Amino acid sequence: MPVSFTSTTSTARQLVQQEPVNQSVGQSIGEAAPATRRRPGKRPGKKRVRLLAPADRHLVRRFSYGITPELAKRVRKAGGGLAWFEQQLSPGSIADPQVDALAGWYPSLRRGPSELWRRQVKEIEGGWEVMDDYARWLLLRRIKTRRPVFEMMVEFWENHLHVTAVGDGQFTHRVDYGKTIRQHALGRFDDMLVAAITHPAMLIYLNAAESTKEHPNENLGRELLELHTVGVGNYDERDVKNSARILTGWSVDMWESWRPQYNREDHYVGRVKVKGFAAKNGNDDGRAVTRKYLRYLAHHPQTARRIAQKLAVKFVSDRPPASLVDRLARVYLDNDTAIKPVLRALVRSSAFQNAAGKKVRDPGEDVVGTYRALGISVSQPPKGDRAGRSAAATMLYSAQTIGVSPFGWPTPDGQPLDGAAWASPSRLLASMRFHLDLAGGWWPTVAVGYREPKDWLPRRQVRFEDLVEHVARITLHRHASDRLVEACCRATGVKRRELVDAEHELVQWGFPRFLSVFLDSPDHLSR
Amino acid sequence: MTSTTPTTGSTHACCDEYAATRTGVSRRGLMKGAVALAGASTVVGGAVVTASPAQARSASSVLVVLSLRGGADGLSLVVPHGDRAYYQARPSISVGSDRLLHKDGMFGLHPAFAPLSSYWQAGKVAAVQATGLPVANRSHFAAMEEIEDADPGTTSRVGWLNRLVGTTSGNSPLQGFGVTGGVLPTSLYGPTRVMSGGAADALAIPGADGDGLKKASLRTVWKGNKTPLGRSMASVFDAVGEGRAIRRAASNKSDYPDTDLGRAMATAAQIIRGNVGVEVVTVDQGDWDMHVGAGGADGGWMNNNIRDLAGSMAAFLGDLGSQADKVTLVTISEFGRRVVENDSGGTDHGHGNVMFVAGAGVKGGYHGRWPGLGTGYESDLKVTTDYRQVFGELAVKRFGASTSKVFPGLKYRPLGVVQAR
Repeated sequence: MPVSFTSTTSTARQLVQQEPVNQSVGQSIGEAAPATRRRPGKRPGKKRVRLLAPADRHLVRRFSYGITPELAKRVRKAGGGLAWFEQQLSPGSIADPQVDALAGWYPSLRRGPSELWRRQVKEIEGGWEVMDDYARWLLLRRIKTRRPVFEMMVEFWENHLHVTAVGDGQFTHRVDYGKTIRQHALGRFDDMLVAAITHPAMLIYLNAAESTKEHPNENLGRELLELHTVGVGNYDERDVKNSARILTGWSVDMWESWRPQYNREDHYVGRVKVKGFAAKNGNDDGRAVTRKYLRYLAHHPQTARRIAQKLAVKFVSDRPPASLVDRLARVYLDNDTAIKPVLRALVRSSAFQNAAGKKVRDPGEDVVGTYRALGISVSQPPKGDRAGRSAAATMLYSAQTIGVSPFGWPTPDGQPLDGAAWASPSRLLASMRFHLDLAGGWWPTVAVGYREPKDWLPRRQVRFEDLVEHVARITLHRHASDRLVEACCRATGVKRRELVDAEHELVQWGFPRFLSVFLDSPDHLSR
Repeated sequence: MTSTTPTTGSTHACCDEYAATRTGVSRRGLMKGAVALAGASTVVGGAVVTASPAQARSASSVLVVLSLRGGADGLSLVVPHGDRAYYQARPSISVGSDRLLHKDGMFGLHPAFAPLSSYWQAGKVAAVQATGLPVANRSHFAAMEEIEDADPGTTSRVGWLNRLVGTTSGNSPLQGFGVTGGVLPTSLYGPTRVMSGGAADALAIPGADGDGLKKASLRTVWKGNKTPLGRSMASVFDAVGEGRAIRRAASNKSDYPDTDLGRAMATAAQIIRGNVGVEVVTVDQGDWDMHVGAGGADGGWMNNNIRDLAGSMAAFLGDLGSQADKVTLVTISEFGRRVVENDSGGTDHGHGNVMFVAGAGVKGGYHGRWPGLGTGYESDLKVTTDYRQVFGELAVKRFGASTSKVFPGLKYRPLGVVQAR
């Protein structure tokens, strides 16, 4: 974690000072180099921020959780947007010290299923608490990582193969499920599909673990076709039944050891046919048939189209051109379901290049992006009652209030990827409340370091319009439009050419509202 | 589909303090807003603040659509005890005839509906059995979309409630209101602007502090923005003025079950009592997808859900004050379940289902034509009433709407479940 040092307290911060707050001055967010003390005057908040070219800004903004000055620097160092992207496709080659440091924050994320269950039964720690910490760990990773493309693809696939993170049975295997997705997130979809569908978390979540050959439970068999592979309208009810039959036998020793097991006596034996896949299925060990079936589905052109469509909706626009989806589907099939070639084709398409700013940030992206934009440092929560007021704890509730926490979406379709879904009025109002809390440094109050208002000033005294430009570069990674300057003037009552210094009323008490203008703007709420 | 509800006090257990802080912040803003309200308009720092907008138009009818997500088992809600196939098909999860409430020769309510009994007896609640989509759709997501879009054969995503609000006079976004903190239901999607909010006290621009500057600044930066975000921001600008009237209506949520549904219904009632022209309200509740462990008459998942549903409906019907004679509540679920239970004590995706209609204008009791049940493993409850006929009757009789506009292609035949206003 960044080492922070305490600054003098400004009047605006008195509220916060009732709590021993980890005040980090000018120490910037996330992927900053392990911090050393900086000399005053050399703080990132004071430096002029160099902007990436528009095309690079678009690429990096779409494939990261928000551009900070440090991230822009690394993009330039890599040789520009596309070179940076290529580097990102080999995440193992990028050191990620701040993410590594998170490993010790939540010990239960390393506990096995039977131990987690025992702790729940003995009322030491509820499963939902472990799952809340899992969601926090994910948000923290997204804030701090230097491998944003990898982290985004993990999020994308964990949402595509969604297993709700709270739930009495599956929580025991949920962290390992995430790890499994992580292993394949930039690999091949056929491998990922086999690993995910036969994973205990998925078997429990969609009831396959309780299925029998007499009356196969159709839940997983259906969603496998509808959500994970070929999509609705591309199968009939006979396919669903056979899909469920193929999956019988895969199980978990539920409510006891929670060990995965294959029950031959529960496997439906006999000919099965789903779409173009047929198997004699004469053995009561149906695992080989299952794997063949899942690989068949992964390589199906309808699956290719569905995955191409979802990737295009997530990374291009709500209504991507059919020609792009066709092309991505072809690349996917030509490369045996390998994911990287599809992403390379996507970022080089004209549809992608013309889609700057056209996506809405979803609740998680808003929370993570706002912490990054404001350069707020987040440190390990203390033990005891104060933990609940720490940034690491409250960012989860922030995401919930805006709409959804990571993998808290209650149904197996996963949270929506389209911007329209996250553009509801209630979402906007909740986002604005969250932005103001962080802009004011009012909440959370523990294990969090907010930048002081005066540290946003690029020099001792600055014209207001120049301050707006400076803050726009840091928070939005763009020049301030005339309209943004006007909006800042209106919100604060300060005139364009008015000189602002540390004693100015804007810095003394008007800063929360000033910063909220940037955070509540279309630029911050889009990506 | 599995919809998961945490078993413990859950996700909010440790954020009470957070909630308290949050409320504290908004209350402060609220008080300042109230000060500004006293004067008609004032000039603050160069911006004109119009603090007391013209009184909103009062709605003449209000429709509340409660969606039971996950495919609720209509055969457990309104039990066909007169059909022997029901008991043959469900050896472990059926409800004995002697346990049912308000029985007639064929139907009876699940015993967990007890909290709703007084309204049923007063003839304020109707149950329409064997309703649904004309053709079975067993995908949760596609079925919900089809039901809420209700315009077969089109690909444009416009919900029927959006069309309904579009046919009534006025253009306030508050005419259509989604009680939700996040994603709007498909039924409200469309060209007519609508509003949404998870709680009534959230209907204010954060940090506006009554001086009008924050709102003026937001208007500047969002001006002319035609994206979905921009449209929603415009709804916010037009709706927050009425937020005050809604907050003043006060919440009676302590009279409701302490559940997500109870809280949402309390918010719906508060918004309606605010009397700011709200015509359509949507409430969503998940957690009806009981592939496993539905439980029996005395306890378990189904019993708990019905108790929550009945308690929330009853509290809502009793919480409408002077608006009660305008408000009709209707429930819908994307599909019913198979007739025969599976090996996990649950049921898989089926077809026909029951819809409840309650409140203003309702002719209480059992409605619909019973098709009889089969006992083959694949048996469904057949649909004898297109769900659009139920909604259509409400649109025509309560709103004077034309079914050809709200439900294109529907051959409307009044069912006699509701009376004209």
